Order: sequence, then C-alpha cells, then structure tokens
Amino acid sequence: MPAASPDGPRTRRLSPRLTAAIGVSLFVSLTACSAASDDGTSGGAGGGSTDKLVVWDWKSGDPTAKAYIDAARADFAAKHPDVEVEFVAQPFDNYYTLLGTAIEAESGPDVVLFNGGAQLRDRVDALAPLDDLLGDNQERLTGWEAFQADGATYAVPITLQGMPFYYNKAVYEEAGLDPETPPATYAELEAACTAIVETGKDCFSLGNKEGIGIEFHLSAYGPGVMSTEQYDAWLAGERDWASPEVKQIFQMWVDQSEAGWFNDGANSTAKFMDEYTKFQGGESGNVIGLISDVAHWKSFDEFLGDDLGVFKPPVVTDQGSSVLPVEGGIGYAVTEWTADPELAYDLVDSLSSTEALTAFYAEAGAIASDTSIDTSDSGIDTVGDIVSWLPESKPLLHSALSADTLELMHRLSQQLLEGSTTVDDALQQLAAADK
Amino acid sequence: MTGSRLSRLGAPDIDESSVSGAPDAPARAHRRPDAPGPGTGPVRRRRWTEDKVMPFVLVAPAVLIVVLLRLVPLVMGANFSLTGDGDANGAFIGLDNYRELFGDEVFRTALKNVGLLLLALPVAVAVPGLLATFLFMKVPGHRLYRSVYFFPVVLSPVIIGAIFNVVLSFDGPANQLIGALGLGPVDWLGDSSVAMFTVIGVHIWATFGMALVIFMAGFATVDQSLLDAARSDGANLRQTVWHVIIPELSQTIQFVFVTTMIGMLTGMFGLLYIMTAGGPGGATYLPELYIWVQQGQMNRPALASAASMVLFALMIIVGFAQLRLIRRATKES
Repeated sequence: MPAASPDGPRTRRLSPRLTAAIGVSLFVSLTACSAASDDGTSGGAGGGSTDKLVVWDWKSGDPTAKAYIDAARADFAAKHPDVEVEFVAQPFDNYYTLLGTAIEAESGPDVVLFNGGAQLRDRVDALAPLDDLLGDNQERLTGWEAFQADGATYAVPITLQGMPFYYNKAVYEEAGLDPETPPATYAELEAACTAIVETGKDCFSLGNKEGIGIEFHLSAYGPGVMSTEQYDAWLAGERDWASPEVKQIFQMWVDQSEAGWFNDGANSTAKFMDEYTKFQGGESGNVIGLISDVAHWKSFDEFLGDDLGVFKPPVVTDQGSSVLPVEGGIGYAVTEWTADPELAYDLVDSLSSTEALTAFYAEAGAIASDTSIDTSDSGIDTVGDIVSWLPESKPLLHSALSADTLELMHRLSQQLLEGSTTVDDALQQLAAADK
Repeated sequence: MTGSRLSRLGAPDIDESSVSGAPDAPARAHRRPDAPGPGTGPVRRRRWTEDKVMPFVLVAPAVLIVVLLRLVPLVMGANFSLTGDGDANGAFIGLDNYRELFGDEVFRTALKNVGLLLLALPVAVAVPGLLATFLFMKVPGHRLYRSVYFFPVVLSPVIIGAIFNVVLSFDGPANQLIGALGLGPVDWLGDSSVAMFTVIGVHIWATFGMALVIFMAGFATVDQSLLDAARSDGANLRQTVWHVIIPELSQTIQFVFVTTMIGMLTGMFGLLYIMTAGGPGGATYLPELYIWVQQGQMNRPALASAASMVLFALMIIVGFAQLRLIRRATKES
C-alpha cells in the first residue's frame, strides 16, 4: 500500500458521520448489554409482566397433555380474558439446568412445573409460598407433602406418583404360579422369583444405568420392611442409616441381583424406557413401575392387556406393612419474582381444576391429585386397584432425600450391583452425606 | 515551537471544549482561518484524526466480542467460583469450592479420566495419521475410504451414542459377535473397568475423520522433491515416513494433537450423557459432565464454576505442554 500522503484521506479530521456511526453502534451494544443484565423488567423470556404469564414445563408439548392444557387455558381465559398465557415446553433432560439459569437471573417464567421432593425443596428460595391462596384446593387435592418445605407449601400437586409392583400374568402362569394371587409377602415373592427364573425369564426387569433403580427399590420395599414409627421418622428427617431395617433393604438389592432376579447388564440398561420395554415385551415377570407420567397402568395395558396385574409392596418383616407408597408427582409453583403472585396462582388454580385434571387422567393416564375424579369407567382393572389403595398410602422414602444424597445413592447402587463396594460401606457413605 | 507562536498571536475566540483532552495550542490551530494548511506540522500532531481512529474502530468489533463474550464471562466465572451456593448464594467463601472439589471422589475420578484421555491421545492422532498416510499412498479403493472415514463426523454425538448403545448393549450385536467367537459377553457400558475405554473408543471412531482431513491437507503440502530425493537415495518406507513426512507434517501434527485434545476434553459430553450418564458408579465422569450435573441437577452453580475454572486451567497447561513436547518430537534435531 502506498504511504498515506499528508493531505490524503487518511489524515482527514474525524467526520461527523463516522463519529455518529461509532457513537450509535457503541450505544446500541452497551444498552443491549445492560438490558441483558437487567433485573427482569425487560428482555428475557417473559416474567414480571401483569398482562402475560409464562409457564415453563416439560408436559405441554406432549400430545396426550393437549386436552389438559386446553381445558386449563379455557378456565383461566374465563377469569382473566386480557392476560396472555404462554406455555414453554422445555426438554425434561435439561429442565432443571435451564430453570437454574432462570433462578440465577431472577427472571423468566411466572409459573413452573416441578417434580415433588428434592428438586422442589432445593429451590424453594426462588418460589412464592402459596398457603394463603390455596383455599378449597387444600381439601380437594391430595399429595401436598412432596411440595412442602419447612411448613410452607410451594406448589399445587397435579398428579400423584407411586410405585406399585406390576406383574405379567402370562409369565406367572408359565412358571406354574397362580396368576390371580400375586405375592403378598417377601417369602412368596422369593418363591415366585425362583420359579420364574427357572423358566429362563427374569423375575424383574431392571434398568440402573442412571442409578434410579435404587430409588424405586428403596421406596417400594421400604413400607414392607420398616415399622410405621421408623417410616415416619425417616420422612421427618431422622434417618438412621445404620439400622438393621435400612441395611436389610440395601442387602435385598444385592441379594436379588446375586439370585439372578434381574436381567443381565442392569447397570447399562436405561430405566426409561429399556427396563419397561423388556417388561412389556414379556421378558420378565415383574417390574416396579409408576402410576402417572410414564411406565404406568395405561402404557402397560396397551401391550399386556388382560395379562397385566398389579400388587402392593410385599410385607418383608413382622413390623412392615403392605401400603402403596404414593405422593404428589408433579405440581405447579409460582416464582417469587412474578409481578402479581395472585394472578399467577389463578393460572395454577386453572391448571389444577377438576375439569383439566380429568382430561389429563383420561388422555395421559395420570392418576390425578384430584380425589373427586371418577376412574371407574377406564376399563382397566389395575387402575381400580391402585385408586382403592390411595387412601392409606404413604409418601415415598427416597423423595425425602436431598439431590446430593440421591446422586450418591445412584452411584453406590451401581457399585453394589458390580460388587465393587459393600452394603456397610455404602450405608456409611450415605449416612455421612445425608446431613 | 508552534504553540509559542500561537500564544503570542493570542486566540481568545477558540472553544476549548471542542478539543477536550487536547488542551495544547496546536489542536486549536485548525479552527483559525489563518492556521497553517494540511501537511504542515500542527496537522500531523492532531489527536483525533481518522488515520489514528480507524485502526481502533476496525479492531473494535473483534476486541469487543472477545472482551464481552470471552474475557468478561471468564472473570465473572472466576469470581463466581469464590462464592457460595444455596444459603450462601453470592457470599464470598474463598477457596472452599475448590477444597470441596478436590475432596469429591467423583471429581477426582473425572480428573483421572482426563489423564486416561491424554494417554489415549496418541492413539486418537495415530489412527487418522496412519489412515491418511495410506490414502496419500493411494491404496486401492482410497477414494471410497476417504468418504467412508469422514462419514461419522457428520453424525451428531447423540445419534452415535444411541447407535452404540444398541450395538454395545448386553444382548446386542457386539456381544453376539464375540459370543460367536467363543468369548464371554462383556458389559461394555455397565462394567466400570471397561466403560471409559468403550466411550473413548467410540469417540475416536466418531471424530477421527476430521483429523484425517487435516492430515490429508497437510500431505498436500509435503514437498514432492524431498520424497523423490529420499527415494533416489534408497530410503525405505519407514525411513521416508520418519525422516521426510513427519518433519514436513510437524505443524499439522501439532495442530491435530491440540484440536483432538480439546475435542476430547470438551466434546465428549454428548456421548457420555447418552452412553453412560457418568456411570456405572461414577466411573465415566469427565469434568464437563461433572460441571453439568452440579449446575443442573445439584443446583450448585458456584461449585460448577470452580470446576470450570479447574478445567480451563487444565486445558491451558496441557495445551502448552503439548505444543512444546510435540514441537521437539516432530522436528529433526
């Protein structure tokens, strides 16, 4: 390039046009940056507005939830015709990661869907307490425990979640067992499993790739092992990891694996849905399933039809009892940064209305938290059994644990199946983590 | 000199605010109708001329992007890693997060696995290097192989993970194949002593195509006359590779080493997440999966920030060490 001549264009005084262009672009970029770090009053994905409510969930994109969402929308529109409602369906795998970002920024959704238990309790600082707003809903709906922390209620339950034992009557028959009398005690279950394993099938399908299998094991066998006092103390936070009962539950996990009850490669089998695909495909006699969302009576019924049966947790010890572990499954909460918590609660109220929840039950097969919904016309026997066990049900043992402890328990459960740790060592680590 | 002349002349009507930051007289001169014209001394000394401002304006977008989107978040992240989570959110807690990290068995496993990745790195570079050499030597069917080798690169890690989940499942085709050979089944993804090697193997399979392309581009720059000279000197294949090709490809090999390492440390999340989710028993954690779990599942963003800073430091150290080592190893003394 030739050297700039002293009177050439490169030594020109800064032209006003150029100065203006630089000024405007600097101004735009700086304001853009400051808007991004705003406290939620501008920019971002909604939140903090009184004429628009943003809901985050992982359900509204599901075709089976469409009727439910439509019913809730209609109910809310009748109450607040001027308020726009936007449902943002997030992928469940990243749901709590995304929510964590929103909480950190204190902006985003006004109403958020939560799983009951640890995921909600770890984030109550970001939520508005709803006790003063609940009114009649407190009587109409059940499953509140999973959404309460330190005596305050932070979300309204939509569904109930529980862990019954589903079984395949055809596999029982093949093993020479009475398909109409499922095991009621652990001794009977052991006998049934011995017979089923002899036919070359698995007694239980198990997927423990994520380590969630142990959650189901703990909550499903807990009532049959622990006394009522121990159970209640566990839920209240007084957990004795060194007690013989807790040790027995974890020992059963190891013994069942060693006795060949589970499919091979449980640690590399995904619980959702490989474990349940195996059960639906008739590869095993039993599975510990759910009552809502997925892996429930309705989805199994599509594959097994009349061969599907369900039983309550078997009684293991003299002090144990056979009750179905059930609590609030998913529920809607109101964020503490929303502009008008009462308006946001009105939307939660619509999302938990009897009409909306009836649609959710009918389309998605969820056992709703609304006890007034009639389930007698489903045509599926198992749902009648499950609903009849609800009144005397107890909350789930694993959801009383913190996310940290659960994560550790997941890893230890895999090590127990592998034989790389012992029950005693695992329980010591859990006792140290659960503080 | 000029200043003193001007002050002698006096310039009472000059607006000083228009030249703020340049209070010396030469800057004022341009406003005077009788000031010297362009090309004389005072003009060259002006503070805000276009030739002085333009370079800054032109680099500003790049600098702003680097500063706002890279450096500022980095500093914020470093600062955030010194604060607490949960009840102590935002409070300064010093190095507690780092202490907790190094006390956490899972994070230590993640760091050990980084070591394993570094050990696997020569394999991850040798595979494409060797295959590129064969392609360069035009083995029969080299055109077909070239596309076949590149093919996995266009697949997303999620799809590759899902495919290998099926292939490597306990009752999957891989075990059926080795069963047919009379060997017992291996729980490729469910056995903690095997799972990490499995995932690394799949990662190398999935990504070596890109390194292969880089190697092939490098081969295109190899001086043909050197090869001819080596041949006429009677060099065998091993000698040609060792004394001609490797020194000629020194830059390419360095580049592939560094990019492959970065790819391994930061690009295995998708595969790990789909194939093992960190299991069994936490045996296949890598720092980035750990960061994701702490931030998303455990609601510990500050601890995750600390882990990110450790990963960042690790990458810098390993990257520089690698460059030095490889530069020394690939250049003939």
